[in-house]
Parts: sequence; C-alpha cells; structure tokens
Amino acid sequence: MFVEFFYTLRKRGIPVSPTSFLRLQKALSLGLVAGIDDFYTAARCILVKSERYFDLYDQTFAHCFRGAALAEDFSEVELADAVRSLLEEWLKSPEELAAALGLSKEAVGQMTPEELVRYFLDRLKDQDGAHHGGSRWIGTKGTSPVGHSGHHPGGMRVGGASRGKSAIKVAMERRYRDYTQQGPLTEVQMGEALKRLRRMVPSGPKDVVNVDKTVYETIRNGGEIEIVFDRHLADRLKVILMIDNGGWSMDPYIDLVQTLFNYARSQFKDLTIYYFHNTVYSRVWLDPTRHHKPELIEEFVRKDPETRLVFVGDASMAPYELMHADGALYVGQREMQASIDRLMFLAGIFRHSAWLNPQPESDWTGTWSIGRIREIFPMFELSLDGLEKAVQHLRSRN
Amino acid sequence: MTSEIKPLPFRGAAKYVLDEELARIVNISMALEMPLLLKGEPGTGKTMLAHAIAESLKMPLIVLNVKSSMKLVDALYQYDTLTRLNDSRFGDSKRDVSNIEEYIRMGRIGQAFVSEVRTVLLIDEIDKADTDFQDDMLDVLDQMQFDIIEIDKTMAARHRPVIVITSNAKKDLSDPFLGRCNFHHIAFPDTDMMRRIIGVHFPDLSKDLADACLAVFYRLREFRGIEKKPATRELLNWIRALRADPDFNARTLSSGTVPYLGVLFKKSGDLSLAAQQACRGR
Repeated sequence: MFVEFFYTLRKRGIPVSPTSFLRLQKALSLGLVAGIDDFYTAARCILVKSERYFDLYDQTFAHCFRGAALAEDFSEVELADAVRSLLEEWLKSPEELAAALGLSKEAVGQMTPEELVRYFLDRLKDQDGAHHGGSRWIGTKGTSPVGHSGHHPGGMRVGGASRGKSAIKVAMERRYRDYTQQGPLTEVQMGEALKRLRRMVPSGPKDVVNVDKTVYETIRNGGEIEIVFDRHLADRLKVILMIDNGGWSMDPYIDLVQTLFNYARSQFKDLTIYYFHNTVYSRVWLDPTRHHKPELIEEFVRKDPETRLVFVGDASMAPYELMHADGALYVGQREMQASIDRLMFLAGIFRHSAWLNPQPESDWTGTWSIGRIREIFPMFELSLDGLEKAVQHLRSRN
Repeated sequence: MTSEIKPLPFRGAAKYVLDEELARIVNISMALEMPLLLKGEPGTGKTMLAHAIAESLKMPLIVLNVKSSMKLVDALYQYDTLTRLNDSRFGDSKRDVSNIEEYIRMGRIGQAFVSEVRTVLLIDEIDKADTDFQDDMLDVLDQMQFDIIEIDKTMAARHRPVIVITSNAKKDLSDPFLGRCNFHHIAFPDTDMMRRIIGVHFPDLSKDLADACLAVFYRLREFRGIEKKPATRELLNWIRALRADPDFNARTLSSGTVPYLGVLFKKSGDLSLAAQQACRGR
C-alpha cells in the first residue's frame, strides 16, 4: 500500500528508509489509522525524521493524496526568491540599487516595488542562459552591476554565495539554504565542535572512590578495608586566544568571532584572550582597545608550552606589514623584528597552535600573506568543518 | 515479556493542553512500541508531555536526565562494590556476600525494565551525551534487554515502557538512532493554542489581561537579534510574576511598559536588547 507515495517521498529527497515504511504498514494493519488525517500524522512521525523535511513532506502528501500539482521546476519560487532579495537590497540601500539597475536614484524612488520588480524581471528575461563575465547581463564575475561577485562596487547580490554559478542557479538551491553549514555558526554548533578539545586531568579534593585500587589495597592489607580516593577528572586545558580586532578587514566577521569568543569564555577555565591588529609585532594587548595592557611577545616564553595557541584573524595584509622589520601600520611604533619572525617565535614556543580564518578557504590563495602565515601556523576555516579539523589538529600532536 | 497494548488512548492531562496531532502521534508510538523523539524550541513542553502521559495513563514516570559525562551502564545498573567489600569484612548485614545479585542496583532504564507495571520512561536531553551513548542506548531499548556482566544475567523488560526522548539539538542525531524512533517536532504554539494553555494554568485570569499579555508576548518574540526567544514556560512564569505584583494592572501593559523583562529574557545580552526595543516601541 502507498508504495508510490513512498517512492515519491524518496524522489523528492526525503530520506525514507524501507524499515520505517514497513513500520507504517504495521501501524496500518494494527488499525491505528482511521482516516486521511490520521494517515498524514502517522506517516509523518514514522517516516520523516527531521523537521526540515516537513515542508517537503506536506507538498508531496498534497500531491499524492489531494492531487495537487507538484511544482516540477522551481522557476516561480526562484523568481519570488530573487525578487525578495531584490527588495531587501532596495530597502537597505536605494542608492546602490539605483546604480545597479542603471537608473537614477530619483527614478528608482518613483517606482513602486512592483514596477521595480518588473524592471528587474524584464532584464532577467533578456538573458538566455547562464552568462558569466560579460558586461551587461545578470551573472557572476562580470562587470554588470546586477549579479553577484561582480566587480561593480554597487553590485547587487541575488541568491547565495556560491561562485561560478549564475545567480538564478544559486537561488534555485533554496531547499538547502536552511541547513547548510555556510550559515552563521551558533554557539551550540561551536560547542559541538570544540567539545572534544579537552584535557582531563585530576583536580580538586580527593572525593571519588577508586574501586579497583580499594579492592587491591584491602587485599594487600589482609582484608582490612582500605579505601582509596582519587581526584575528580576535570578539564584543565589552557588556551590562549589571539584575536585580530583591528581594522575594517575583520569587520564582516565580527559576529562570527563574537560567537567563538563567547563560547570559549564560558567553556575553557583557563583562557587568556589577547588582541592584535592585522599581525603580531612586539606586543599584544589584553584589552580590546589595544591601549592599556600591552604584553611583550618575549614574555610568552614563560608560559606553559602545553598551552593551545589559537589565532583568529583574516591574515590578510600588505606584504611589507608581515615581512619588513618596520612594517607596523602605526606611525611612531618602532619595531626591531619583522612580524613574521614574531609569529615564528610564538610557533616555536607553543607546540599546539592553529590559525582560524573567517574567510572561506577558497579565497585564501588570492592573498599573499595568508600563504606565508600558513607556512607557520596550520590554518583552518572558521566554519563548523574547519573547527572540527582544527580541534583534531590541536589534539593530534599530544 | 511485553504486555498487551493498553487500549487506553492518551487524551491529555489536567495541566497540559494537547493538540490532536500530537495525541495521535503519542498513541501511534505507544501502539507500535517505538520511542518517540521530540524536538522543538526550549520551553515548548517537550518534557511536560511525558509528565502528562504518565498522569493521564496513571503510569509511574521514570526520568533519566542525560548528562554529558554519563556512561550507558550508569543508566542501566550499578554494581555496589564498596558495600559488598564492607559486608565481606564485617559480615553484619543480612545480605549474602557470595550472592553478587544483591549488590546490583538498577539505574533508571533498569528500573523501568523491572517495574511491576508499565512505566513512562522519559529520557531528557539526549543530545547532551555523545553519539555512542545514544546508539548503544537505542540498542538496549530496541532489544528491551541488557546484560549484567557481573552476574552474567540478562535483564529483560517485563513491560515495554512508553519511551519519550527529548532533544534540543539543532543538528540531527545519528541515522541509526533516528531509524529506531518516531519523530515529532513541536512547533511553537500559535495565539489560540497559547490562550488555551494560559486558560489551563490560570483559569481565573481575565480575558482582557490574557489578551494584553499575549499581545505583548508575541511582540517581544519578534524582536531582532534575540538569541533565546521567550517560550511558553517564560510566558507562564511572567504571568505568574505579574499576578504576584499588587501594583500591576492591565493598563500598564497597554501603555507599552513591560515589567519583569528579566523573567522573559534569560541572557543578559537579550535582556538589554529587549529593553531597548521595548522602549522604542512605546
């Protein structure tokens, strides 16, 4: 029964297992399902295992049992999607949008939202097929203002962040949008990733009975009871977090870093946070304003070499800032050593270190300084995946 | 091993407002003898559902609060070595030292298995434990038996408990785990549902005040940038707080002032954000 329904669900991308389908049959044969409403609920709770498929399930159910047409292609939805992002863009910065559509600001101002959308759609229709790198149509990597990743400063963004696809293609992938790992990391997700970065060592009062040792000692003692207590195992991992909080280049990632920071502060007992701008020179700062509490890099020799050193920064700067002995951005800050030597010095002290970069890994090759820093510190993307790898790395060299 | 299916369907409890869909799901899971996995925003009554099932079907409730450091065996049974050691040294207890079984104590899952009557077993916040724990536990719950290695004995469940599992996790549990559960996501209640929920908890609350509270509450949930939105639990506590305040009346709410924001927003960041936006909305 309902085999077709089962396969339609699978075809629509809901992972339905045969076992659960058989279970649904069992529910049916038990006489638990009295009507279509019952069937709807029963099938959903037995077959669908995540709320993210609920919407898809509803569509499929309506198709199979109510005869609703299943949208075979998503064109209407995508357009609606594109239109929505267009309107959002419009609300954010009318000037940029005006420039993007090649209209004057006044002209855009006089258009109703409907007119604006129609103008945009007309322009979309002119385009026949994916088009990249041109100068007029909507696409990517072009100089046309409408599209994504273009060179035009006011380039309007349609759809997601994927490279090398037409914007409308990206919009088509809306089904994945809710749960891709590209979305902002939440504290919970970071917790999942960082949970394994622990070093359990005995600490505190001796209040846990070690049963094996107690039995052993008791027998050694000729049957006279000898209870052996141990200390609790607790996480005593030392972590130094160095955060690049200067300059505009880190601005887009503030939220991301903030989340990491919040998590780290609540999770690691022994956490010190230092701040720097772009890269490390003779000192780093304990206060975010980088003014009151400087600490000399040389002082770090005194720290426990088992401490995990984690940098967070985009590692993007001009080559001279990294390589030249006097490369610091600030006038009047005299330096004896190039920043790259400072970084190597730190890498020499702490065996376990990693650099988390909030930029996507695909962009790294474009920046020269990232390549140099990667030679010193293993670099990971500040994403769920990257964190996972970073944690693995920080543990592996134990 | 397992009892016959109780014909008694679940219809909700005194303090729990049940929507029909959820009632059906509970009844189907009970009939199929499958654990029911519940997800949803914190404070939407996942845990309360188990309490309600137990109350309405008059079954004892056994709660296993999962902790991150928990091992599966802790939930099943515990072998009390120390008491046995003590008894063997002093021999002043009535227990038979050579009989290890007398030193086995049941954990929560074990208690549900050996219970004389059918029980409701609530496994709360399963996502706290690691994946191995989850999968192993489901094996036990699937087989309805576990081994006690110390006495080489297999414990089988007398009655298959009604199992409710809750999870707050954003990310999914493992596939084998999901394969063995029925799944339901408790959506956040809409205004009508919420009005019924309030009605159950505060039968003497005037309609005007309830409406005013709800309006403010749903407006607060819309605030931007809030990390932990207030849920049903917060709303109920908030109404309780408002009623405890002798100076409070419904006019305060309609004028835009929101007293006791701290009851609704639990994170300091959220609280200050909400306070700002509440002022602006005035």
